[in-house]
Amino acid sequence: MSDKEIVQKLKTEFSRDPELSKLQLNVSCEDGTVHLEGEAERWEQVVALGRLAAGVAGVRGVVNRVWPKSLPRPKKKRKIKEKASWDGMKVDVVIVGAGIVGASIARELSRFDLEVVVVEKEADVAWGQSKANPGWVHGFAGVDVDPKSLKAKLCVRGNAMYDKLAQELDFPFKRTGLLAIVTEEDLLPMLDFVEDLAKQHGVPVEIIRDREEVFRLEPRITEKALAALFFPTYGSTSPYLAAIALAENAVMNGVKLLLDTEVTDVIVKDSQIKEAVTDRGTILTKFLVNAAGLYSDEIAEMAGAREFTIHPRRGEMVIFDSKFSSLYSHNLAPATLKSDPYTKGGGIALSIDGNSIWGPNAEEVPYKKATGTTKRGIEIVWEKFSQFVPNIPKEAMITAFAGLRAATYTEDFHIAPSRKVKGLINVAGIQSPGTASAPAIAEMVLEILRKEGLHLEEKPDFNPMRKAPPSFHALTNKERERLIAEDPKYGHVVCRCEHVTEVEIIEAIRRGATTMDGIKFRTRAGMGRCQGGFCTPHVIKILAKELQIPIEHVTKRGRGTELLPYEMKQLLLRGGQVG
Amino acid sequence: MVKREIDIAVIGGGAAGLAAAIKAKEKGIENIVILERNEELGGILPQCIHTGFGLRYFKENLTGPEYISRFIKKVEDLRIESKLDTMVLEITPDKKIIAVNSVDGLLELRAKAIVLAMGCRERTRGALGIAGTRPAGILTAGTAQRLMDIEGYMPGAKVVILGSGDVGLIMARRFVMEGAKVEAVVEILPYASGLSRNVVQCLEDFNIPLLLEHTVTSIHGTDRVEAVTVAKVDANWRPIQETERTIECDTLILSVGLIPENELSQTAGIVLDPATGGPVANELMETSVQGIFSCGNAVHVYDLVDYVTQAGELAGESAARHVLNELPSLRKKIALKAGDNVKSVVPQIISGEEPVALHLRVKKPMRNVKVKMGNLSIPKRVVRPPEMVVINLTEKALEKLEKRDELEISIEEETEP
Ligand SMILES: Cc1cc2nc3c(=O)[nH]c(=O)nc-3n(C[C@H](O)[C@H](O)[C@H](O)COP(=O)(O)OP(=O)(O)OC[C@H]3O[C@@H](n4cnc5c(N)ncnc54)[C@H](O)[C@@H]3O)c2cc1C
Ligand SMILES: Cc1cc2nc3c(=O)[nH]c(=O)nc-3n(C[C@H](O)[C@H](O)[C@H](O)COP(=O)(O)OP(=O)(O)OC[C@H]3O[C@@H](n4cnc5c(N)ncnc54)[C@H](O)[C@@H]3O)c2cc1C
Repeated sequence: MSDKEIVQKLKTEFSRDPELSKLQLNVSCEDGTVHLEGEAERWEQVVALGRLAAGVAGVRGVVNRVWPKSLPRPKKKRKIKEKASWDGMKVDVVIVGAGIVGASIARELSRFDLEVVVVEKEADVAWGQSKANPGWVHGFAGVDVDPKSLKAKLCVRGNAMYDKLAQELDFPFKRTGLLAIVTEEDLLPMLDFVEDLAKQHGVPVEIIRDREEVFRLEPRITEKALAALFFPTYGSTSPYLAAIALAENAVMNGVKLLLDTEVTDVIVKDSQIKEAVTDRGTILTKFLVNAAGLYSDEIAEMAGAREFTIHPRRGEMVIFDSKFSSLYSHNLAPATLKSDPYTKGGGIALSIDGNSIWGPNAEEVPYKKATGTTKRGIEIVWEKFSQFVPNIPKEAMITAFAGLRAATYTEDFHIAPSRKVKGLINVAGIQSPGTASAPAIAEMVLEILRKEGLHLEEKPDFNPMRKAPPSFHALTNKERERLIAEDPKYGHVVCRCEHVTEVEIIEAIRRGATTMDGIKFRTRAGMGRCQGGFCTPHVIKILAKELQIPIEHVTKRGRGTELLPYEMKQLLLRGGQVG
Repeated sequence: MVKREIDIAVIGGGAAGLAAAIKAKEKGIENIVILERNEELGGILPQCIHTGFGLRYFKENLTGPEYISRFIKKVEDLRIESKLDTMVLEITPDKKIIAVNSVDGLLELRAKAIVLAMGCRERTRGALGIAGTRPAGILTAGTAQRLMDIEGYMPGAKVVILGSGDVGLIMARRFVMEGAKVEAVVEILPYASGLSRNVVQCLEDFNIPLLLEHTVTSIHGTDRVEAVTVAKVDANWRPIQETERTIECDTLILSVGLIPENELSQTAGIVLDPATGGPVANELMETSVQGIFSCGNAVHVYDLVDYVTQAGELAGESAARHVLNELPSLRKKIALKAGDNVKSVVPQIISGEEPVALHLRVKKPMRNVKVKMGNLSIPKRVVRPPEMVVINLTEKALEKLEKRDELEISIEEETEP
């Protein structure tokens, strides 16, 4: 369909809808990309418009600028930062975003003789979507996903790459398999169809029709189980430890990682990328890889080449005590026909740390910072999954967290060079199964860069191996003794719940952690049952000492999140005035 | 690995552990080691710089540091060995202890008797399931106390306190004294969960509003706490939406309960009481594993340190008698069960032959009550959840008591005749 026909078709679609027809909209289409502008009443309408547009044949992408009248626009808070010494440096490639995708691409590029810089606005690696997910390494993108879609292909391929990657980079990964439980009678006759679909995706599956066999595999599963589908290639990882490992290996091999640095503008001249402008200085480059997750549409916009809009979809997840989780030995999910096409449907994950993580649910939200949990979301997750694992009580709930999926309206991954600006490579719309797909995404981006003219020459001294820092908790007493002999600080346990030692904390700082949350995600200090109650004062002191900063400057996760903003008596000296 | 045989290992050097070690030493046991993960002895008390300690035990009104320094001095005078900065990692049922520090490295101690005195930890936000964001500025009252009164830093300037436990009440006053503003103390129950004296001295005297039957339903702010939403709750403790309002603040302090620390008890295979969260103990403070004793906040959360000290002394004495082979095994075992308006009772097992003090926690406040235990009935004027109810079973009372394998303790309101 031509651009004109697409606009025509869309206008008719909108006019058929009793609600949408009332809105004042500007609809246009350029080279297969639909642009929507105007005002809506509610956020649901904005999402509905985008989805309708994406559904029209021939539409490549949807840029949806419609905003509800009643909602305030998102606020932009700019934090002023000092110019860094590298201001004005010249590199071959800038990667925006150090999530698992940006980190994977950086590591792939570090094989070659190139100057590569990763720019990340947060104070540590993987603080976007990459830390806010349960860590499934999906075997495939799901029965409701078109096997010919990009995400279907990259998921199966990425999944297969995990064993080697985890072994080279020493991050946790286990292939526990997924048991999808059938509890609905009407699904039984469909199992052959599912098997066929799985074949199209290229994912192995075993249909378990014998009910007894299901209970042999998972004895404490719901009584309602009738059959099951077993997907042996499903695995679990720690998505942030994986991203940290990738980033560390990239840095070992020469990549520059700029944390706490935000890309604020992209300079394009003669339709060619020229500069990435950040809040700490400017970087000259011909290639800019846009792996900015939720903000990838805004980065493309900075380059004047928006081809898609990200509409955040919140997922809430609940963590359960490992005592109960160990009653089950697989990743579990309900097998259902009534699946929601906009989420993998979530499940009961056996996390790499031995906890059970349930969820996520799926909810469209207008704001990209809406990562708070809600009572309702937690309730929905509990209602949906508790029936499958009757032996996990509600009291075993430890905590809940939420993440936002960076979905485009076409819902597939958008991995392609910009159609307008040379040198801009968009790696956007990487929602689930982005963790599983990341290694394959990196491979694909490498090929795109090669095609776009980046000269790739392998470095003879590339070192694919990276060692994780030792974790006292996981060692045998013999190994612990050896470490303490090397460094007595291994005998000093700082986090009592997770048994994290002083050396591990210092090592995490050496490897790039600068904040409490950085320490927590890298070492687990503060993640245990007391949630940092005991170790917070100690970790703050270690951070201040190692980073050579005053205690008042130690933060939870970057500027604006100072933990101890005042020295004692400071408020009194100010006459009790709250500043 | 350093390996040692010892008579008694005391795990935890707080009020309970020190009392136990001192008593055991006084009973003639030489080879005692206190293992403490902090860099100093004293447990939680060095950070409790307010007064209110020792009113019963010393008949004096002391601060926490003053109270505990008397015991620390005694430990030193008696030359009891203590290993500081030493974290106990594991205890086995056959009383092998694995600990670690940076001087000895890994330690393996084989003890004839063990006293568990690990104290308690604070309940956290996760356990409450408060929705919202995770900004800086949310911390538990005990952590805030440590940061202010030991480290010397203020976590915030405009504070809301959730929960009216004693630590929260004390901290409300500390924040005000240090120039911060405390907007409110929010409590879900219809009464404060801390001691009455603390409500008067820490809130009323400082004009800090106490919002009873209210809770925090949501936390706002992406970087730093900016506000919390509070709401009144209905009879089932569910927030009533129409009553929601936001209070601007930069800090949320949680004082929502204490949980006995018993991960080590679990590695030793000790039976825990779900009602207290601590080990099931008999009247000698012995746990379900012979030769392992427990005391203080590790057994159940006490209101007053004076009782903690007494429990420590009892556990220390029993441990010493165990080492000396003088500890009788209870000939008769009466299991005490919590009945109406009783949340928990310690000890959970008595012989019925020796006088013993029972410590009860009640579920709700009542006036003019009778504590019923089998055929015994003991009158009390008031019982309140924050205050431990102490029942002294004297020889005389025990003579009267009909001894059965199991006895229920319940608290009933006196009906006016
Ligand atoms: C609730 C939920 C559950 C999920 N479950 C799974 C699962 O089980 N399995 C699975 O395979 N996938 C899952 N996913 C998807 C997976 O998390 C993502 O696909 C993956 O993390 C995407 O990685 P990314 O690097 O593209 O994005 P991100 O991790 O979001 O990284 C983007 C980075 O860019 C940075 N950035 C943005 N703007 C700028 C700027 N202007 N300057 C500098 N830096 C910038 C951000 O700070 C961020 O760190 C889930 C996602 C969610 C939200
Ligand atoms: C803020 C606050 C205010 C209080 N106010 C009053 C008051 O006004 N009046 C009053 O009478 N009482 C008060 N109390 C109560 C009283 O202080 C406590 O009940 C008492 O101190 C508890 O002593 P404990 O020895 O059981 O525990 P703790 O003092 O907690 O000691 C336990 C010790 O065990 C150590 N430990 C734990 N696990 C390990 C391990 N694995 N290896 C090594 N060591 C370990 C800990 O580091 C700690 O030092 C207050 C309590 C608090 C917290």
